[in-house]
Amino acid sequence: MFTTGFKFFFGIGVALVTAGVLYGYTSGGNHMGPLSLGWKGGVGEHLGYGLLVGTGVSAIGIALTLIFFRDADPADQADYMGVDDIAPTTPVTSSFWPVVGAFGVGTMAIGLVLNTAVFITGLVIVGAVAVEWMMDAWADRATGDPEANRALRNRIMAPIEIPAAGAAAVALGVLAVSRILLNTTKLGAVVIAGVVAVLILGLGTLAASDRKFNRNLIAGGALVVGVAVLGGGVWAAVDGEREFEEHHSEHGDDAEHSDDAEHSDEGSDGDHSDGETDSE
Amino acid sequence: MTMTESPPANDTASAVPAPVVAGLYDALTTTDHKSIGRLWLRAGMVLLVGAVVLGVLLGFERVDSESTDLFGGDNAFFQVWALYRLGLALLVAAPLFIGIATVVVPMQVGSTNIAFPRAAHAAVWAFIIGAGITIAAVLANGGWGAVDRVSNEEREAIALSIVGLAMVVLSLLLASICIATTVVSMRVKGMTLLRVPLFAWSMLVATSVWLLTLPVLLANMLIAYVDIHNGPGSFGGDLSGDLGAYAQIAWVVEQPQVYAFAIPVLGVLGSIVPVAAGVRAARHGLSMGLIGVFGLLSVGAWAQPFFQPTNNAVVRYDEKFVFIAFGLAAILPVLGALGGAADSLVRGRGVQGVPPAHLLGALGGGLLLLAGTAAGVARVIEPFELGDRVTVAGVMSLVLFAAVASAIGAIWFWSPKVCGHELSPVAGRGAVMLVVLGGLVVGASQVINGFFETANNPLVAPTEDAGDVLNTVALVGMIVIALGAVGALATLLNAMRTGGAGTADDPWGGQTLEWSTATPPPPGNFAEPPALVTSEAPLLDVSSDEGEES
Repeated sequence: MFTTGFKFFFGIGVALVTAGVLYGYTSGGNHMGPLSLGWKGGVGEHLGYGLLVGTGVSAIGIALTLIFFRDADPADQADYMGVDDIAPTTPVTSSFWPVVGAFGVGTMAIGLVLNTAVFITGLVIVGAVAVEWMMDAWADRATGDPEANRALRNRIMAPIEIPAAGAAAVALGVLAVSRILLNTTKLGAVVIAGVVAVLILGLGTLAASDRKFNRNLIAGGALVVGVAVLGGGVWAAVDGEREFEEHHSEHGDDAEHSDDAEHSDEGSDGDHSDGETDSE
Repeated sequence: MTMTESPPANDTASAVPAPVVAGLYDALTTTDHKSIGRLWLRAGMVLLVGAVVLGVLLGFERVDSESTDLFGGDNAFFQVWALYRLGLALLVAAPLFIGIATVVVPMQVGSTNIAFPRAAHAAVWAFIIGAGITIAAVLANGGWGAVDRVSNEEREAIALSIVGLAMVVLSLLLASICIATTVVSMRVKGMTLLRVPLFAWSMLVATSVWLLTLPVLLANMLIAYVDIHNGPGSFGGDLSGDLGAYAQIAWVVEQPQVYAFAIPVLGVLGSIVPVAAGVRAARHGLSMGLIGVFGLLSVGAWAQPFFQPTNNAVVRYDEKFVFIAFGLAAILPVLGALGGAADSLVRGRGVQGVPPAHLLGALGGGLLLLAGTAAGVARVIEPFELGDRVTVAGVMSLVLFAAVASAIGAIWFWSPKVCGHELSPVAGRGAVMLVVLGGLVVGASQVINGFFETANNPLVAPTEDAGDVLNTVALVGMIVIALGAVGALATLLNAMRTGGAGTADDPWGGQTLEWSTATPPPPGNFAEPPALVTSEAPLLDVSSDEGEES
C-alpha cells in the first residue's frame, strides 16, 4: 500500500518536523507556539526551527508526490498506460549547448561582480541556450527517426543560427582583433593583420575543399583560436591602447593625424615639436 | 555451513577493445552518462590532489603556530584554510560520488542513460567553471572574508569567491536532480524501489539530502554577497574579523551536515562487500533503512551558529537536545552497516589472499566513517566542551576522507565500466591504504588536539605544547594522504587515456545489472533489455534459475 519512496521521505519529513518542534521548545518556545508555527506562542530560535520544519514539510511533499505516482514503478506505469512494457527512453543527440550554457552562467557570475556589460553578455548567452535547448528537446521526440529529427530541427533553426552565429563571430572577432591592433606596436599591428588575413584565407580554402577533418581537431583548433583571439582582445582592452600623438598641420588647422609614439620619437623634429601627447 | 552464490558464467573478455578516452569533441558535446561521469571523476580527482596539497601547506604553517610566514600573512592563511575545508566537501567528496553515480547508477537500475543527460552535462561543466572561478578568486586575495578590515581590492575578489562557490553548489544540485530522477523514474521492469542496489539507493538518499539542505547554503551565500556588495552590516555581517563570511557557511563542513557527503560510503560498503564475499547480502531492506536513517541524521542546515542569538542567556544551539540527539544517534546506522558487512564476510567465502583495492576502500571508508561519527559523539558530550575546538575539524577530516577512500575503492571496483578495464590492483591498494591511514592520523590528531583546548580557529595558537606536537602529526598524515591521492589520480588518468584490453565483463562476480553489460558498456548500455528483475541481486537470481534448469 505504502511505497518505499513514500515511507522514506514521509519518515524523514515526520522526524524533521518532530525535531523542529522539540528544538522550538528547547530553545525558548512556549505555549502552543512550536506546534502552531508561532500562531499561539513563541517558537524559540526562529532559524533552526524554521529550517527543520520547512525541510520536513518539503520531504512530506516529496513523499506525497511519490505515492501519487507509485514511486514511478515501471510495472505500474505500464498498467496505467495500458501497455505491456513502457518504451525505453528517447536517445538524446549530442549538443554543444550544455557547455555553452555553463559558460554563459559563468560569464554571468563574473559579470555580476565585475562588470554589468559582461553580466548582460552572459544573460544573452543563457537566453540563446535556453531557446536552442528547447528546440533540441522538441526535435529529439518529433518523430521516431533520429535523422528526420535532425533535419527537421535544422530546417527551422539553421536560418536563424547561421546568420546569428556568423554575425556574432564576426563582431567578436573584429572587436577583439581591433583591440589587439590598437594595443600593439605599429609593426606588430601589420604582422598581426597579415597573420589574421592568411588564417581567414586558409580556413576558407579548407572549408571550401571536400576534405574531411577529425572532429577533435576542428573542436580543438576552434577552441585555441577562439581563446587566443578573445583572450588577446580582453587583455588588450584591459591593458589599453598604445600611446598616440595628435599632430597639427603647419597651417594650424584642426586636421589630426594619428601615429604611434615610436614614430613620433624617431621623427621628433620641428614638425612635431608643438604636438600634444595624449594618452588615450 | 558457508553458503556462497555465484552469478551466471559471464566472464568472457569483451571482444570490443577497451575504450580509449574520447576526445575533446566528445567531452564538449556528449550526452552519454559514462562520458559525463568520467568528466566528474577527472575533475574530482584533480581537485582532490589540489586540496590535499593545500592541506600539506596548511599543515606546515600550523607546525609553527606563532606565525603565518608561508602564506605571507593571516589573511591569505585564513582564505586558503577556508578554501581547503569547503573544497574538500564541495569540490572533492560530492563530485567524486556524483561521478561514480553518473556512470554506474543508470546501469544498476537497467536504464539506457541518465535522466536529463544534457542537464547532467551542463552540470559538470558548470562545476568545472565554478570551481575555476572560486579558486582563481581566492588566489586573487578573495576567499570568504578577511580577518582584518576588508579592503576595496579584496571586496571584488571576495564577492567572486562567493559567486563561484554558489555556481559550484548549483551544479551539484543540478547533477543531484539527474541522479535522483534516474533512480526514481528510470528503473527497469520488476525493479521496485525496494530492489534498488544499495549504492543507487544511497545516492538517492544523499542527493535528496543535498537537495533539501544545500539551497540553504545558497541562501547563506546570497546574504554574504549582499553584505559584501552593499556594504557591511546589510544582513549583520561585515565579513571581517572572526572568520568573516566563512562563519556563515561553516555549518556545511561541520556535523551533522558533513555526514551528508559520506552517505554513499554506506552504499559502497553494501554493494562491494557481498560481492567480494560471494554471498547475497542479508536484510537488504534493513540496510536501506539504515542508510535512510543516516541520511535523516545528516540534515544539518538548521544548525547555524552564525545566526544564533548572541544573548548570553540563550543556550547555544549545540547544547540543545536535538543537536545532541543527532550527534549521538549518527553512529548507530554506521555500526549497523558495518555489522551487515561483517555478516556478509562471515557467511561468504571470506577474503582469500591479499584483499582487493575495492574491498579495502569500502571497509576502510566504513571504518573511517565510524571513527568520524564516534568523534561526533564526543563532540556533542557537553562536559568535554569541544564545540569551539579543533575536534570539529577532526570530525570533518575523518568523515570526508572516509568519503575519499570509499570513492577510490568504488572507482577501482567499477573500473571495468568506468575505464573499460580493471585498474592496477597494486596501485589501488596503495592509494586506498595511504588515504585511510593518513585520514585516520589527521582526523585522530585533530580530535585529540581538541582535548588540549586547541581552538578550531586556525589563527589562534595552541595553548599547550601537545597542540604543536599533534599539529605535526597531522601534517605527517596529510603528506601520506597526498601520496595516495597522487597515486590514484595518476593511475586513473593514465587508464582513461590509454585504455586496456582483455577485461572480463564481470570480473568480480557482481550481483547487480551493471555487471550484465559488456566491458566497456556500449551506447545504451544493454545489448538486450535486462530480464525481469525479481530481487535486489538479479544476477544471482539468473544463476539460481540456470542451476535449477540444469
